[in-house]
Amino acid sequence: MTNPFQHGPSSFGGDSTSTPLVSTLLGQRRTSYASVVSGAPTLARPTRAGAFSHLLNPTTDGDTHSNLFAAARNYYVDTGMTQTRNGASGAEDDNGAPSSQWPPPRLGAGLPWYSRAFDRYMDKRLPLPGSLGEEGLGGGGGGPLPSASESGFLSPTYLRGSVYLQKLEEAYKAKLFAEREGHAVKAQAVAGLASGTSSHLQSSHKLPSGSHRGVTYEVVEKPPAIEEDDTISPLPSRWNKEDKDASLEVLGDGCEVKYTGRTTSEHEASAIRSDHHMPSLCGVYYFEVLILNRKREETTIGIGFSSKSVSLQRAPGWEPDSWGYHGDDGNSFAAQNSGKPYGPKFGTGDTIGCLVNFRLGHALFTKNGDELPIAFRDVSFKDVKGKLYPTVGLRKPGDHVLVNFGRVPFQFDIDGYMKKQQKMISDSIKNADTSSLAPPLAESELIQQLVLQFLQHDGYVEAARAFAEEIHAEKTDLNLDKNELVEGINIKDDEDANNRQRIRRAILDGDIDRALKYVGRFYPTVLKENEQVYFRLRCRKFIEMIRKEAELNLLLDKKVPVKQRYHGEDDEEMLEADNSSSHWDGDDRMDTEDGNDAGAVSGEGGGISKLMREALAYGMELRTEFHEDPRREVSRALDEIFALIAYPNPLKVKEVAHLLDGTGRVAVAEELNSAILRSLGKSSRAALENLYAQTCVLLEDLRQDGGDGAFVTVQSVIDDIPPSSIL
Amino acid sequence: MSSLNAALALDLSSLLDIGNSAEFRETIFAHLRATAASRMTSSASTATPLKHAFEARVADVKSPKSDINALILDYLTMEGYPKAAAKFSKEANLTPQQEDPSIRARQKIQQAIHTGNIDTAVSELNELDPEILDKDPQLHFSLLRLQLVELIRNSSGGDIQPALDFATNKLAPRAATNSEFLRDLEKTMALLIFPHDNLQPELAQLLHSDLRRNTAIKVNEAVLVRQTQRREAAIRHLVRMRAWAESSARSKKKDLPERIELGLNGDDNDFHDVIHANGHEPMITT
Repeated sequence: MTNPFQHGPSSFGGDSTSTPLVSTLLGQRRTSYASVVSGAPTLARPTRAGAFSHLLNPTTDGDTHSNLFAAARNYYVDTGMTQTRNGASGAEDDNGAPSSQWPPPRLGAGLPWYSRAFDRYMDKRLPLPGSLGEEGLGGGGGGPLPSASESGFLSPTYLRGSVYLQKLEEAYKAKLFAEREGHAVKAQAVAGLASGTSSHLQSSHKLPSGSHRGVTYEVVEKPPAIEEDDTISPLPSRWNKEDKDASLEVLGDGCEVKYTGRTTSEHEASAIRSDHHMPSLCGVYYFEVLILNRKREETTIGIGFSSKSVSLQRAPGWEPDSWGYHGDDGNSFAAQNSGKPYGPKFGTGDTIGCLVNFRLGHALFTKNGDELPIAFRDVSFKDVKGKLYPTVGLRKPGDHVLVNFGRVPFQFDIDGYMKKQQKMISDSIKNADTSSLAPPLAESELIQQLVLQFLQHDGYVEAARAFAEEIHAEKTDLNLDKNELVEGINIKDDEDANNRQRIRRAILDGDIDRALKYVGRFYPTVLKENEQVYFRLRCRKFIEMIRKEAELNLLLDKKVPVKQRYHGEDDEEMLEADNSSSHWDGDDRMDTEDGNDAGAVSGEGGGISKLMREALAYGMELRTEFHEDPRREVSRALDEIFALIAYPNPLKVKEVAHLLDGTGRVAVAEELNSAILRSLGKSSRAALENLYAQTCVLLEDLRQDGGDGAFVTVQSVIDDIPPSSIL
Repeated sequence: MSSLNAALALDLSSLLDIGNSAEFRETIFAHLRATAASRMTSSASTATPLKHAFEARVADVKSPKSDINALILDYLTMEGYPKAAAKFSKEANLTPQQEDPSIRARQKIQQAIHTGNIDTAVSELNELDPEILDKDPQLHFSLLRLQLVELIRNSSGGDIQPALDFATNKLAPRAATNSEFLRDLEKTMALLIFPHDNLQPELAQLLHSDLRRNTAIKVNEAVLVRQTQRREAAIRHLVRMRAWAESSARSKKKDLPERIELGLNGDDNDFHDVIHANGHEPMITT
């Protein structure tokens, strides 16, 4: 592998002579692109192991992700889940890539570790990665880098929590899941420490030698599941080499672009667009461009956005469906040849940001973190033919820019801008008039009714009664005329509700047999009429069996070191206690089910536990019962739960652990409850659930073309509630 | 028919043979590799015909019970229904959000305000959080003003001296500092002059129980902010979001049914009761 900067003397930063320039630049400027550019070498710098490593660790993590060697990259891409396991242990070791070859000396390599260039990474005020990191997606989670490289796609901070990123993440996970099931399960099972060779090297052939693109980008570049989905397109992540003028050369990790042609006429420029368009679903899109020209006076750079149909021989803003801000005169160009005076000129060392607000239909620019006025107003973005792509136009030799599509912090406080947008919306929500929802009820009464109706509808008998009493007491208190009797709310002693609650209880306890017994007794026809629910219950029973075993194994893992386990008496007792109903004898141990030595399954003395055998036997039964079912979802569900057997301890594997968790019980319980309600001629949804679902759909409508709905989610309301875990 | 099922069709006895467990696992892996591609592709849609497209979309949206349950528990906790909150936590397998004593303390204060015992409410409030009224003059004034209303209510046709004294000693000094307070005080004092059975609406409002209710809500919110940094239950936001979203969508001419029903009463309860009385007959017989 070679360093792209060593290709020729014109390359930036490859030779030592250019370093002083950069250092000067960095020295003068407190923030932040410097840190991007110089990020790479921090990986190899020995100082990071020193006393300040706790500060620099986020840096190293970030760099690990973004500057991996090819072997490491392949490995990471293909077996994303092992990435977590290796975590901070450092990619260079795990993958055996010879670090002497890489990274080569690069921009800023001469910077001492205490350089201010790294301020950004040490800034504690930077927001932590949001929900994306919480599920243990990555070893680097918790670091202050804004890019969600752990989860494999770009996730700029200002879009965190947005529906757009949520969808992107879902699509990405789905893809990862499919991929992993395809070829990574095996690698995982052999303890996950694959030596590059067993990994699937599908991406290596696509990389030009000398590329050192970050892993983040690697993943983004080939996300089949995402690309296939029309509704959700990835964010721009780099320049598109296929969508540029011939005079431009894309350098580095795909974010740098340089003019390599000759000086041309006034009317020509060389443009390049990003790989993906700006999704209007985001509501607001933002990117920044750093001008890297060596000589200050010679910059003729235009920054903006354009649709795919716009000529690449023209600067952004000169043609219809393109908009731009030009550095040589400070003018803004809105789809025409002549510009309007807009902002200051810009050149070497300046960072120009471009912000598109789809909701308000305008765009503005920023210079070195400061917001400039609105450049283009009343732009009807949805009427533009085709999607809009971040675009730069360069015109002279030496023109050289680096774009930040959100992988590192922006100079401009885009998070703050986004918050202001969100606040505008949430303020109007706060002041919304709820009186038309269910006249004549005012808000407080409406909510009381919604809650009470839900409790009754869903068979929370005791809670409904207690709530009705409390409402009644409240009304009595508020009653001014003590002679007048306040009418109580009559909660009928509803036998159905009681029964339904009993069944729910059984499922929530994980006791599917008990639930089946009750259903058979109280609602003998329900399961016959709702085969799907019956099937789900049967599957859940299988899952409960697996879960029991997995939980036991977790306990064993904690309690007894591997070597002693054969003689651990506690284990014996635990097994006995939990298997009282078992008809297998208790000789077999589950040692080898342990996640750390799955390879030993077939080894001496190994075996499957009796719980496992019971589960398998039950699985056979399930299979026999449903194997002739032609429905695809049935076989798929069976596949999914049977796959649990494949994991040494499914509770430890985050991709499948969700199948086992308590929310699955809730889901089955509620599905059954709904089926019973339907069989009784009742609506399967309570009013509050209708309201929830209606709000989701309404927001979806409002989200089209980046409207108001892009800035709010129902989820954000739910997320306000402090977590209350399922027992 | 899935091939995993076929994979599972291994002879039961061989499966139970300890030595073969690795082989079994291998079979599973082989299958997983084979079917992975087909796994994630389709998603079932259950659009119901004969409905407005909007309704069909609503029916397709999942409303996760875990979310709904969280909303309910949050509401019961925040708005002070301790008994219901406790029962619900138990029935739905949820860990209570706040300690029971804290909900009860708030409920007691609300109760005192609802019944017009403002003195009790103030002393309970001071016990719970001695700083709260000092830090929030607006809230303090609201409580005192309500207390004055209660005094006037109780004096109707009788001795108005206690009300006058209270207004002079407790409210007037505060009203002097704030023109809004002063206006409120003047309005309230007008109640002393006019007969209560024929008041203009603005004044009649003061005697309505809503003043108690709203004051209680304000006090509760103030306590909540001090205790939990949150002012309101999340369900209020959701309900307002629903109202806002509908009016915004209508103003943007989105395709919506004339009226979007919540279904608060749409449960066919009466019909159900008849069936219920007959034992659990299924509605539709085939």
